[in-house]
Amino acid sequence: MQSEFHTQLITLLPKLRVQALALTRNRAAAEDLVQDAVANALAAQDSFTPGTNFAAWMHRILRNRFISTLRKQRETTDIEDLPAGAFAVGATHEDRMVLKELGRAVNRLPNDQREALFMVVLQGMSYEDVAASTGCAVGTAKSRVFRARRQLQAWLMGENRTGERSGATETVTRVVGEARPLA
Amino acid sequence: MSNSDRKRRPQDTPDPRKSPRSEVDSAFDLWLQRGLHQLYDGVAAEPIPAELLALIEKDRTRKRT
Repeated sequence: MQSEFHTQLITLLPKLRVQALALTRNRAAAEDLVQDAVANALAAQDSFTPGTNFAAWMHRILRNRFISTLRKQRETTDIEDLPAGAFAVGATHEDRMVLKELGRAVNRLPNDQREALFMVVLQGMSYEDVAASTGCAVGTAKSRVFRARRQLQAWLMGENRTGERSGATETVTRVVGEARPLA
Repeated sequence: MSNSDRKRRPQDTPDPRKSPRSEVDSAFDLWLQRGLHQLYDGVAAEPIPAELLALIEKDRTRKRT
């Protein structure tokens, strides 16, 4: 049974790494957070009930660890990283520009919205699992994802404060427009 | 719209009940999903640090003995 616990933990590591990046927005801090969360999980493994939702249990540990680290380092060096995907070698200049814009916009989202968005869109978690992982109601989890999507849409497809549209905004609007079904 | 009308409507005809606004929202959500995967799938695919795996394996061995 213990062996299964460790196997589940190793299997979940790639997702934990992405989720840690959602929380910290910084690669080095994300790696440290995963390391700390794994150490906490190993120390607390006897409190996990086999057969229950391991991913939700582990995400809660990651989240709690992040919150406690944040409290200790209130004024941390807040250097935000863009994921390597924004610098993809094979992508066109236009694609890279749009991805960078998306990465920056995602980093601007409130933490709880970015966290829920990543869980649903990147991890494929259900709203019920998001709620269980983050200690909120299912309706709150749905609302956070909804608001994150519409906020990103407003930033990436809307006009900026000066009334001008950036190149990335024009591109996103065009690409999304092309994806719409013809009336 | 009756049930029979709904059945007759071809798959590629836009649903008249769906507003242009919700079509844009759906298209954006699809684009967002692709964009987020492009940005972050590489992070998930990176090799796990050896020291982290060693930490887990060490604990696994300790629990077995």
